Amino acid sequence: MAGFEHLLTALTPLNLAFALFGVVAGTVIGAIPGLTATMSVAVLVPLTFAMPTSSALILMGAIYTGAIYGGAYSAILLNTPGTPSAIATTFDGYPLAKKGDGDYAITIACLASVIGGLIGAVALMTLAPPLSEVALAFGPVEYFWLAIFGLSLIAALSEGSLIKGVAGGALGLLLSCIGVAEVAGDVRLTFGSQTMLSGIQIVAALIGLFCIPVLIDLVAQPGHHLKVDSGSRGFRLGEAVRYLWGDKINAVRSAVIGTVVGILPGAGGSIASLVSYSEAQRTAKPGQQYGKGEPGGIIASESANNATVGGGFIPTLVLGIPGTPPDAVILGALLVQGVRTGPSLFANQGEIVYTFIWGLILATILMLPTGLFIGRYAYRTIITLPKALLVPAIAFMTIIGSYAIRNNISDVIIMIVLGGFGWVIGRFGFTASPIVLGLILGPIAESGFVQAWTIGRATDNQMGMFFGRPISIAIIVFTLFTLLSPFVLARLKKIKDQAHAD
Amino acid sequence: MQTDDRKDTGGAVISAVMIGIACLVIWDSLSYMDADSAVFPRTFAGVLIAASLAYIVMWLLGRAKSGAAPEGGSSARRMLLVAVMLGGTIAMPVVGFIGSALPVFAALTLIAMYDPWTRFRILVYPLIGTAIVLGFFYLFREVLLVPLPTGSLFEG
Amino acid sequence: MKTTRRSLVLTGAALALAAGIGMTAQSAPAQAEYPEKPISYIIPFGPGGESDITARMQQPFFKDKFNQDLVISYKPGAGGAVGWSGLNSLKGDGYTMMGVNLPHIVLQPQQKDVGYKTDEITMLYWFHYTPDAIVVTDDSPFKTLQDLIKFAKENPGKLIFSGSGKGTAPHLAQVRFDKLAGVKTTYVPFKGTGASVAALMGKQVTAAMAFTTVAANYEKTRLLAVAMEKRHPRFPDVPTFKELGIDIVSGAYRGIAVPKSTPEPIRQKLTAMIKAVNEDPAFLKKMEEGGFAPVDYAYGKSADDFLAKFAKDVTAAAKEAGMLK
Repeated sequence: MAGFEHLLTALTPLNLAFALFGVVAGTVIGAIPGLTATMSVAVLVPLTFAMPTSSALILMGAIYTGAIYGGAYSAILLNTPGTPSAIATTFDGYPLAKKGDGDYAITIACLASVIGGLIGAVALMTLAPPLSEVALAFGPVEYFWLAIFGLSLIAALSEGSLIKGVAGGALGLLLSCIGVAEVAGDVRLTFGSQTMLSGIQIVAALIGLFCIPVLIDLVAQPGHHLKVDSGSRGFRLGEAVRYLWGDKINAVRSAVIGTVVGILPGAGGSIASLVSYSEAQRTAKPGQQYGKGEPGGIIASESANNATVGGGFIPTLVLGIPGTPPDAVILGALLVQGVRTGPSLFANQGEIVYTFIWGLILATILMLPTGLFIGRYAYRTIITLPKALLVPAIAFMTIIGSYAIRNNISDVIIMIVLGGFGWVIGRFGFTASPIVLGLILGPIAESGFVQAWTIGRATDNQMGMFFGRPISIAIIVFTLFTLLSPFVLARLKKIKDQAHAD
Repeated sequence: MQTDDRKDTGGAVISAVMIGIACLVIWDSLSYMDADSAVFPRTFAGVLIAASLAYIVMWLLGRAKSGAAPEGGSSARRMLLVAVMLGGTIAMPVVGFIGSALPVFAALTLIAMYDPWTRFRILVYPLIGTAIVLGFFYLFREVLLVPLPTGSLFEG
Repeated sequence: MKTTRRSLVLTGAALALAAGIGMTAQSAPAQAEYPEKPISYIIPFGPGGESDITARMQQPFFKDKFNQDLVISYKPGAGGAVGWSGLNSLKGDGYTMMGVNLPHIVLQPQQKDVGYKTDEITMLYWFHYTPDAIVVTDDSPFKTLQDLIKFAKENPGKLIFSGSGKGTAPHLAQVRFDKLAGVKTTYVPFKGTGASVAALMGKQVTAAMAFTTVAANYEKTRLLAVAMEKRHPRFPDVPTFKELGIDIVSGAYRGIAVPKSTPEPIRQKLTAMIKAVNEDPAFLKKMEEGGFAPVDYAYGKSADDFLAKFAKDVTAAAKEAGMLK
């Protein structure tokens, strides 16, 4: 492996301490809904001015990777993605926790995060320059189709009624338009209100739509939040490792998807986890029940989102184009330190880069023990805290968390109102997931579409723009395949059964 | 679930509300200066109208089945929860973060309380609540540098 | 009745006294050694953007000179409007200031109701601008601006610029470029300068209407022309638009404002402090390497005149471009 000699440089006590501190702090911060990886990295920036560059990078990388993992806790225990990257973790994590297996779910999430993080970091170390080309190959139209592919997941996520799922998705897409339009200059759907001008912040919406309904139903009845089994069962590590071994293809595939999506500057952890969840579900083995507490769903989501950390650093370090929002902050800190990223960074300042990557790998490995311990503590806290303290504590965190994203009271108000609205329509079968999908993917789909349309019009080649580019075609085929394969498979099975009957 | 056979009137009503929202979107989109910003909302307002209409038609044909069972429990506590959170948030710019968070925490403790108030609980719960609020206040304000509102009441 | 009135008078007197104490308590430290605690520096954009990075560059110099921290926080939303519309309701004690950008604060209030007006913002100092520039990839067939103009003349509409947003400095520059060079080009808005450069490097577009800072930060890019009066010292080989007969001198300016309630002496003092950072030779060198162009329009007539002239020019240009009614 390239840069082995830098492993020793990374192993100084100072760097190890940074990696450990970063992972622990990141995990705790990420677990609080509203405190995102971006924010936790931004807070550290002034501290890094006085540090050697590689140590600063290790500290920021460790807190980033920890925060992405920490998001799984609230996703599993509270049905609230602590960071947007953990959105797909809620789909199976929360049902699992409700069944009384929250501890198991957290251990699975920890193992999957470590695997994803390692695969992403190894890709960064060995394949960064060639892989960075992926970031450039994706143009507006590819982002548009990627968003459409993400939206196709609505079909799988809408339990009950597909029509309601589509309506929810469309509603989410419309909600994403509120405020100042992203690429055009218009102000949309604010109806003159200053509260609406800044639009609906995605994390605030996630907290509202996922967590507030849980709280609303929590206060309505006595009894425990999660089913509690008596007795201590340890980490249930053996059980989790066995499951993971049986589902290793899913773990590795999700990590690869996460790495590639992380490279794309316009995508990010939330899309990585959604895409790999969709793949895991599409290739489910008989007997696997995705959406009802299948550990495979947690593996897909967590492996993918931690892989985006390494993946996102690829365009950041090679091209100077941040792969994910936290990367943008890290890039800024590097610029202040006088380090210019770009192709020559690897050639001329290889020591910094490889020391950092080894530090990131160390931090990811450290996440295994620390993650298991913090996870256990979080689980115990949630199940033992009496309801009369649990409800206000969570409510308080949703308020302070959604305020902290943009330091804006409007976001808190929108969060609560959306939460109440989500609870009401949820009672009538309109679930939160399609709405959130629309909200996250809306801006990507819209700007991709408008840009591709403008370029297509300028080159007089609208058809070629939308349907003629190789990556676009691949994504379209994949989308159709995902949407249609359940029907085709069911049909084939029917024909087969009939043939057998005859 | 025994309610499975009931017609999903609630779903149809929500669908009608969605159509209303979509119409509002289309009306708003008429005022945009840039054609590029109108394409997307109009398209998906159309999708929303189509899906909602389809659902209402299904309901009229008697094919829309309500899936979710009505949930039991105290509706009063549910509404109080949302009202308290919203009220506390709206008051925050005036009374400040602590001034809002402590009463909200206390009120929610009362709303979520199902067990009898023993002497131990009366003593310990407020202590834990205050500790959580102040602890997070410190963490956010001093460590994470979030400018939490101090409240216009307390400013000179 | 009498007692009521008396108690009212007493209360009033007490209140006045309290207010007096409060005021002296507040003004006393200002006369003493301002600043005596960290200063909050609010960026009305998200972390990681260019406004954040420039603030981060000022941070260590400020600490060095005045032994107080600049504490950076973010209040993003609506292209900065959320921050600026809340500026005057913040505490005007000299410990709160906010980053301000042009042409944003001139164009936004004219386009729509964003909750503030340009003249409601108390500007202390304009410290630099990022000059507009036409950027191509280093392997682009366009070696000079003339090559580009020639292509655009032969292929109307086929030359595609990427740029950051609409109604922004790059968009205005593109509209002016079209008019003054007598060509017709296509402008594709992206979310931020970074995304527009990524599109350029991926060859999704022909060129980017971006800033000098881009060429300083991305290795595989090249500038064709910069919108400055004189050539940028970091890029001595790149001509200005003016040299080539196209009269464009423009860019995105950055400065610092305070809440309206900030007292006059503190305004003066804070202005002098920011100016001192901006004139530090080491800082200047850093800015130059980063592709920025420092300016010096301080609180008072200098800043007012600059803003008035800028607003007049940019408003006229935006009207011409059809961005304003």
